[in-house]
Amino acid sequence: MKFISIAVKDFKELIRDRRGLFFILLFPIFFMMIFGFAFGGMGDNNTPHNIAVVNLDQGTINSTGSNVNFGNNLTAELQDQNYPQNNDVKLFNVTTTTDSNAKDLLRTRTVDAELVIPANFSDSVQSLINNTIQSSTGQTSSASTSTNKITSTLTISGDTSYIGFGVAQGTLIGFLSQYQQGVVTAITGAQPVQYINTSVQSVAGTTSFTEFDFLAPGMMVFAILLLATTVAAILTREVESGTLLRLKLSKMRSFDLLFGGLIPWSLVAGAQVVILLVVAIILGLKWQGSVYSILLAIFVGIIAGIASISLAMIIASFAKNDRQAANLGTLIVVPTTFLTGSFFPLPAEYINIFGHSFQIYGILPWTHTLTALRSVLVYGSGWSVVSSDVIISAVLTLILFVIGVFLFSKTRLGAES
Amino acid sequence: MDFMIEAKDLTKRYGDLMAVDGLNIGIKKGEVFGFLGPNGAGKTTSIKMMVGLLRPTSGKVFINGTDVKKIEKGTIGICPQELMLWENLTCKESLNLMADMYEVPKKIRDLRVKKLLSDLFLVEKADTIVSKLSGGMKRRLNLALSVVHEPEVVVLDEPSEGLDPQSRRVLWNYIRALRDEEGKTVILTTHIMDEADQLSDRIAIIDHGKLIRLDTPESLKKEIGEGDVVDLKLSDTSRNQDLINELANEKDVISVVEVKGRINIRALNAVAKLPMMMQTVERLDVQVEDISVRQNTLEDVFIDLTGTGLRE
Ligand SMILES: Nc1ncnc2c1ncn2[C@@H]1O[C@H](COP(=O)(O)OP(=O)(O)O)[C@@H](O)[C@H]1O
Ligand SMILES: [Mg+2]
Repeated sequence: MKFISIAVKDFKELIRDRRGLFFILLFPIFFMMIFGFAFGGMGDNNTPHNIAVVNLDQGTINSTGSNVNFGNNLTAELQDQNYPQNNDVKLFNVTTTTDSNAKDLLRTRTVDAELVIPANFSDSVQSLINNTIQSSTGQTSSASTSTNKITSTLTISGDTSYIGFGVAQGTLIGFLSQYQQGVVTAITGAQPVQYINTSVQSVAGTTSFTEFDFLAPGMMVFAILLLATTVAAILTREVESGTLLRLKLSKMRSFDLLFGGLIPWSLVAGAQVVILLVVAIILGLKWQGSVYSILLAIFVGIIAGIASISLAMIIASFAKNDRQAANLGTLIVVPTTFLTGSFFPLPAEYINIFGHSFQIYGILPWTHTLTALRSVLVYGSGWSVVSSDVIISAVLTLILFVIGVFLFSKTRLGAES
Repeated sequence: MDFMIEAKDLTKRYGDLMAVDGLNIGIKKGEVFGFLGPNGAGKTTSIKMMVGLLRPTSGKVFINGTDVKKIEKGTIGICPQELMLWENLTCKESLNLMADMYEVPKKIRDLRVKKLLSDLFLVEKADTIVSKLSGGMKRRLNLALSVVHEPEVVVLDEPSEGLDPQSRRVLWNYIRALRDEEGKTVILTTHIMDEADQLSDRIAIIDHGKLIRLDTPESLKKEIGEGDVVDLKLSDTSRNQDLINELANEKDVISVVEVKGRINIRALNAVAKLPMMMQTVERLDVQVEDISVRQNTLEDVFIDLTGTGLRE
């Protein structure tokens, strides 16, 4: 089991390399703290949230026989609402449109969130009113059929990886519960029944988010990407110090070297996720998860770690010494982190391939890591929600790994001619 | 005659430079074989090809009759000229790692590592991180790492380069023990005459990639004659040639050569010939800055063969 000896050696080298360790552990924690203090309380920064409203409400006939549309009423309320602490600024910037157009607006991030008012919305509000009247007059015969119609579901959708959405949907849910209460108390004697159900698509959490909640997973991705810098330096040192030549002379195979390295380094990526999660929670991350979500996050982190190791092998194929590897690594890692959207969200850019449109940043495995980590840690999502992102990141990682192994073997493991 | 290592017409060309030029050498089992030559002579290039680390431009190498390309890994242990160490591992960890890489069973490994550490005076430093070792200790560890799998052939490239006298003595004793106690075949390269002389059973003198002479140190020294060397330096070195011409005509003088601005005069019983030499000096009206008499060394052999001292 020669790869185990290599794994043990690599692990020792990693933890004894103070500078490298500082880089991959303390540096992201430091960033995390800066972001924590800077963005921790910045949920409401008094700018209107851009939302698209799709009003499918078909209206209903009220008790006096006239047509009413509570959907229109809700839309108007959304448009009129101001920030509670700043009466000059609107809470929402509302675009009324169709569902398909709203989806386009979401993808271009023209709007942060989409609110769909269902066809039975007026019906359910009217049922509530009727129900209230019936119960107060003692005519309870039709009450049971009416209460079934009371609940209607409003759907909020958006890009869960996008900060704007997180903040907008949190505000929307807050507003809707106020609206519900308002309607209920406007009807004399009505009990505060929950008649509006909000369903946030692919989102389980209903807390309002601060920007820090979105940046914390980004810091984890940054940390995992920084791992590439340290691993590239270690691999280059192996070449530069001649120890790789020593190993090549022995009975060690390329598999032992690369697989042996993969074990400790990817475990470090998993550890980075846990350490940074703890730091983030201390700094006020509204964590939604359970033990299961930590395990899922570690798994996602390990895959991203392997992607970083692959990147490190590519860097080590070209760098002449460990200093150069570290510099080249930083030069590659920082812009890459930026492109994954870890520091701040980027405007969506789509490209068309064979009629399908793709997010161009989606070719980086770490972009999917970020989406998955946000989903798991911030929204508390489970495997079913993040599986597609995890699988895509695993496939992209595999491709990167093959490229890394190929380049490193070709440039560093071949015989001197 | 069966050789442990045999090089046939071994050649390495780098562009226009013939780093090694048609080398034919046979190394016997159980001997210490020295490559002696100045820096850039082609020693490293030669041994790299002989152990299969470097592909020759032409020629062949056989290890125990097998083409070097096909030998089993671990037959040869090579101690490189440069240090090849893991700076963040301890001595013991490094040795254990290399033993594992050569698939040495754990029980044997532990015994061997212990013995190597004691043979090379590294026991106290067994658990010290390599980056905290002195230069001499690093060199000794560098050697230990190359032999932990007990190879049949041990190749040492400039092993005492940068060693303090104490470390050098440890190293020399270890090399002799490799041959005398374990029956290993040892190849070493050096540009230090004394080292080649003290350690080698046979010496190959090479320069400019070519083999100049191959023999035992004793025969090599005898070949250029018995006697001592008077080594003198004139204050005015521009007069060197005049003195050389004069002395060359004296019948008691075996040879006179200029080496790095100094004059080396070889003669039997040189001390008795000093008055004669000083008379010549006075006749030419030149001043002697310093003068010494010493035994014939391998360096003189080298000078005799190549006409120059060791280039640095
Ligand atoms: N990779 C190389 N490319 C070009 N020239 C080289 C290379 N390696 C060695 N040489 C040249 O070959 C000659 C012999 O070098 P080397 O074998 O290292 O000498 P030594 O070990 O005797 O000091 C030198 O002139 C050196 O510059
Ligand atoms: Mg050399």
